[in-house]
Amino acid sequence: MHISDGVLSAPVIAAGWIVTLLFIVLTIRSTMKKIDIVEQIPSFSVMTAAFFVVSLIHIPMGPTSVHPMLNGLIGIVLGPIAYVSMFVGLILQAFLFQHGGVTTIGVNAALVGIPAIIAYNLFSKGYERGISEKTLGFVCGGFAIALAALLLVLVLLSTGQEFLGLAQVAAVAHLPLIVIEGILTGVIVTYLAKVKPELLPIKIKK
Amino acid sequence: MSYPGIDTYSMLDSTLHRFDPRAKLITFTILIFSFAFIAEIVVALLAVIFSLTLIFISRIPLHFVYRSLKFPALFIFTIIVVMAFTVQGMPLVEIWYISVTMEGLEIGSLIFLRAIASLILAFLMLATSRFDEIIKAMYSLKIPNIMVQMISFSYRYIFVLLEELFTMKRAMYTRGFKMKLNQYSLNVLGNMIGMLLVKSYDRGERVYRSMISRGYTGNPRLFTDFRMVMTDYLLSTVLLATALSVHFFPLIMSK
Repeated sequence: MHISDGVLSAPVIAAGWIVTLLFIVLTIRSTMKKIDIVEQIPSFSVMTAAFFVVSLIHIPMGPTSVHPMLNGLIGIVLGPIAYVSMFVGLILQAFLFQHGGVTTIGVNAALVGIPAIIAYNLFSKGYERGISEKTLGFVCGGFAIALAALLLVLVLLSTGQEFLGLAQVAAVAHLPLIVIEGILTGVIVTYLAKVKPELLPIKIKK
Repeated sequence: MSYPGIDTYSMLDSTLHRFDPRAKLITFTILIFSFAFIAEIVVALLAVIFSLTLIFISRIPLHFVYRSLKFPALFIFTIIVVMAFTVQGMPLVEIWYISVTMEGLEIGSLIFLRAIASLILAFLMLATSRFDEIIKAMYSLKIPNIMVQMISFSYRYIFVLLEELFTMKRAMYTRGFKMKLNQYSLNVLGNMIGMLLVKSYDRGERVYRSMISRGYTGNPRLFTDFRMVMTDYLLSTVLLATALSVHFFPLIMSK
């Protein structure tokens, strides 16, 4: 899901950065209203690191392997601030582990961050309606990847018509991931609801 | 346990190692952005050569460079392959319905060279300075507190949690678990990730409480003594001139 440096055109890169900076300011503002974010930095960072580490797990798939991104789950657990968390994760990934690009951090953050925020809203709305957390986890996890893949295709196509083929390949590569992430997110959400429900945006049943 | 420690060789002594971290952060970032948008293949090739020269100047052992950049470079290389097969244009080689086109190969190579040049620079920027120096430089460049602290804390905890993950994985494999692509494996894996998150959350709470009780307010206290010297200015000028010239030279040449 990383777009490397040198692929996208300058206007797309610029748009990516503008969208990302806007989202960061907005999500930090909206979180500030509820809690003092500055004091919460340590615990946010630990969760950011946790999701980073999770993305290093490899699941064998045919001749290659895939790694989970779990951007839907990050959204469900952290709420809108997940956007900032993933932005930080991408910075670390680009500079410390040389994965993804530096100029594309803005675009990449938007690709995974926007679906995460939607997944969060979907989850909390769905839970109020009484849908089980397993189903919701599956839907949100799969949806977050599907939307991220769709945004990826749009970004590639907006750069130029010659990227049509690359976009098709990328889209097909994401199809199995949608199912895997859906199942995984469903399992994890069910587990968290049993063991540590305060991690989820749900009211604890007494 | 081998960690992906990028600052393994930050203790060496070279022109790049001595470069002021603030100036390094700014000039390298500008250079990365400049290299990522080079329009011509020849200039992109020169940019890669420029980056390679910087590696030699930095005296970082080549096996370390190779180990760090092997997989990222391979990943970028797949773009050339995909582009060569999918872009419409004059076919070079034709096998049944699949054809490699000149245009695709050109665009693919341009992207590859741009990406490699930027990749090497991003690698060098962090490989030639200690991570805490970069963090200090970010503070003194007035990058928002929240951002810098989240980056430095997350960086620290990645290694702590990696250790945790390896312990859990070892425990699973000792009990005979085999990772396959099926519902059972995903269930086990999901539970493990869930456990990791719960542990991390508890750890985060502990860290939070201990930092609050030590008077943490979110404001850093810094003792820095960065000073720009002649060579810093000189090196900055050279790097910035390169960043500009890769875009201006083709314009002048074409006139």
